[in-house]
Amino acid sequence: MLGMGVGPNEIGGGSRTGALAGASGGQGRLRDEDREAIAVLLSVHGLGPLTIGRLVDRVGSPAAVLDLAGGPGGVAALVEGSTAADGAWRAMPPAVAKAIAAAAADRTRLLDQIARSGLRVVARGDADFPRRLIEIDLAPPALFVRGSLDALAGERVVAVVGTRRPSPAGRQIASRVATALSRAGATVVSGLAIGIDGAAHAACVTEGVPTVAFIGGGHERLFPPAHDRLADAIVAGGGAVVSEYAPLVEPTKGTFPQRNRLISGSADAVVVVEAGARSGALVTASWALEQGRECFLVPGSIDSPTAAGCNGFLRDWHGLAKIVSGIPQLLDDLGLAGVAALEGAPGSDPGARGSRGRSTVRLPSAKAVLSGRDPAMLAVAEALVHGAVIVDEIVAVTCLSVGAVLGALTRLEAVGLARPLHGRYEPIGSLAAADPKAA
Amino acid sequence: MLATLLSATLVALDGRVIRVEVDVAPGLPGFTIVGLGDASIREARERVRGALRNSGFVHPPRRITVNLAPADVPKTGSAADLAIAMGILIGSEQFTARAGRVALIGEVSLGGEIRPVPGLLPMVAALARRGIRRVIVPVDGADEARLVDGLEVVPVARLTDAVDALRSRRRAAPTQPARVELAPVSGLPGRPAPALAPPLPPPDLADVRGQAEARRALEVALAGGHGLLMIGPPGTGKTMLARTIPTLLPPLSDADSLAATIVASVSGEGPIRGLVRTPPFRAPHHTSSYAAIVGGGPRLLPGEVTRADNGVLFLDELTEFSRDVLEALRQPLEDGRVAIVRAAGAVTLPARFQLVAATNPCPCGYAGEDSRCRCPEAVPERYVGRISGPLRDRIDVWVTLARMPAAALVGGQDPESSAVVGARVAAARARQLARPGAKLNARVSGRALRLIARLRPETSNGLAELADAERLSGRGTERLLRVARTVADLASSEAVEVEHLEEAARWRPPAARHASALAV
Repeated sequence: MLGMGVGPNEIGGGSRTGALAGASGGQGRLRDEDREAIAVLLSVHGLGPLTIGRLVDRVGSPAAVLDLAGGPGGVAALVEGSTAADGAWRAMPPAVAKAIAAAAADRTRLLDQIARSGLRVVARGDADFPRRLIEIDLAPPALFVRGSLDALAGERVVAVVGTRRPSPAGRQIASRVATALSRAGATVVSGLAIGIDGAAHAACVTEGVPTVAFIGGGHERLFPPAHDRLADAIVAGGGAVVSEYAPLVEPTKGTFPQRNRLISGSADAVVVVEAGARSGALVTASWALEQGRECFLVPGSIDSPTAAGCNGFLRDWHGLAKIVSGIPQLLDDLGLAGVAALEGAPGSDPGARGSRGRSTVRLPSAKAVLSGRDPAMLAVAEALVHGAVIVDEIVAVTCLSVGAVLGALTRLEAVGLARPLHGRYEPIGSLAAADPKAA
Repeated sequence: MLATLLSATLVALDGRVIRVEVDVAPGLPGFTIVGLGDASIREARERVRGALRNSGFVHPPRRITVNLAPADVPKTGSAADLAIAMGILIGSEQFTARAGRVALIGEVSLGGEIRPVPGLLPMVAALARRGIRRVIVPVDGADEARLVDGLEVVPVARLTDAVDALRSRRRAAPTQPARVELAPVSGLPGRPAPALAPPLPPPDLADVRGQAEARRALEVALAGGHGLLMIGPPGTGKTMLARTIPTLLPPLSDADSLAATIVASVSGEGPIRGLVRTPPFRAPHHTSSYAAIVGGGPRLLPGEVTRADNGVLFLDELTEFSRDVLEALRQPLEDGRVAIVRAAGAVTLPARFQLVAATNPCPCGYAGEDSRCRCPEAVPERYVGRISGPLRDRIDVWVTLARMPAAALVGGQDPESSAVVGARVAAARARQLARPGAKLNARVSGRALRLIARLRPETSNGLAELADAERLSGRGTERLLRVARTVADLASSEAVEVEHLEEAARWRPPAARHASALAV
């Protein structure tokens, strides 16, 4: 699993970086050369938000830092500039200062690279810089963005994260949670990893609502490569793929946990669907508590390895971490219960709701998703949402012949409602979000 | 005095008639064999010497020269022992043989017993083609020799019996070929399987619980002669399913069973009591050498690909076979034969086998098992991707198995038995062989396939849509149609319908699938 070492507890003193916002925010809109300068500084290997903040604090503006680096005696000046006036901070290594000087000399090429990758640089002080991220410790000075960040300005933003090796049931829960949140008007953010993250993003893409993915490396080093199509679909759907790293930065064991603070920080709440005992999703959950965000975990059987992380976290943070006892309950707890049901949620019956302000968001039944399709497809789809995963089980439930089940699975796959995985079949797309309990 | 007798030797799967000339001349005692004999022929000297002495004859203390003619054909094996021994007895005038064209085949033991030799059937067949009407064979090979029509077979147990047979003019009534079933016996190549430990009978399909998808894949693959690859974690029943194959295939036709019997005879698969009617099922281990799979060696023994001719070659742990071996499967899969080229010339052996293979989904074997797989993320895809292009193209039916939930194993109705599924396979094969060309769907040409698919316009559109949705290549589309034709044959349908295409689409390679889906 990703390194657990870099958690919220190990990074301190971040509050000082507020200086950056002050430096640029004071003059109203951020100047273009400052934004470019930040992008160049972020391309320097070994230079993080903390040091950039200190430099800007001492030197005045990002552009001034670059000018200083490019001038004679720049390296020494930079090392000097990275310490506090009272010497409270440790000076940066001269190697990093040299790298800054090199980047300053190379700025045109670095900026070209960013433009060629089709990226925008959104810095603190820009109007569309996510407002929730400004508050967090160690906020990134700028983000490299593909797509639109408008969705992060919404009323409610919820992160849905989890293991990269989920069970079929976990994947379905992630889809259902993401779909329900979307329908309740919340924006879903996640980390574009395979597994739970991917299922959450894919559910939003299927719903046709924007979603935002924070990736753990540069845009040119998209990981996992298997998700480049999903990334394209997210951008095409009005959402964004976002990184705090320059385009060519390789994702490493250390970058993912750092990135996790952005997932939790950009959201009001984090929902962990499935997590093994050492899952990186627990890092996100810890960040959420640190950042004062709500933290929800989907519990599981005490025997299930994919639930060990969630169950353990609930035990360790008893009272702070909250339990997801059902999707309506989750929406209720998130304050989304009052939001009117969106169109296209068949089966919703206002009269049937409990009196205590239960969610009005209803997930569709398999029948509704499959309306107009042939009966064999419907029968197989219903078996799938009820948790049948292998052909034997589908045959047992539907009483169809093996050949008929296989044919129906092909038709479901062709319309993007099911797919095979390691000899099992699982619902995807809008069928993944179907509620097994809905009639 | 000079004695001339007829015998035979093997060149790969063919018998060759040879003339054994024995000259017993005065001079210093000695024993020389000339005529391109291999080590086993040179050792005949010692066997014959002992056999003569221990049968009450005299090994003449004279200059013995044995010439095996024609001199340019390399001779192998011990089949000429008996002819050499008789030649010495006649040449040293210890008895007089009646005139007449008689051939002798058999190995002698030091005690004077006549032992069976591998390849008796093709050797006797070669003698019959040359017009020889009487052949003396080891008693254990009598049934095998009698498979050849129009020839008097004289079985002998000891050297003295052979002497009697050569002296007499008595004719045994020509016997009808004994056409009885013979299960192929597995054992090391070239070694007769030990008679005391018969191989385990294959399991019945009813013994395999669950795995409905893989059972159906197996049925479709066997019905159309398609290559099959089963991917799944250990313990999901891949090998068990493959082992039921002998119970599912229809018996061989007359021509095929003769070919199969010849291969079984040359491979030395124990005593042959009749035509081999059961299609061969060969399951070489993944550490098998190149020569063991392809064939060859100094005696040009048939390899596993030839021994699986007209049957099934099952490669368990496909990805663990050496790359050379897998590459060598290319030619037999393409042409149905394998050429073994030597400095001395080339021989071509038949190798029209159906490939059935199994592999784990990833190096650790547990991809898809919740958190049990310890492989890095992209490794499972790459593992099956190791199977090289030409081999992939020859595998029409791909199926992935998952571990069965315990509930599905204990509950439910009894699965279908081999007899039920085998009947469907046989009927589907009969339908295919009744069509012009009489080929199984796996071997029908692309053009002929379009004709026999009898696609209606709506079905054609369905095929195009399916191919588009799955981004199938031309080859992929043809493969889909080919398997669909077999599914239709299993359903006794004249034309390929959309439902058959939809089922066939389940059996395409997983790589094509990954590219088409929005991976999450």
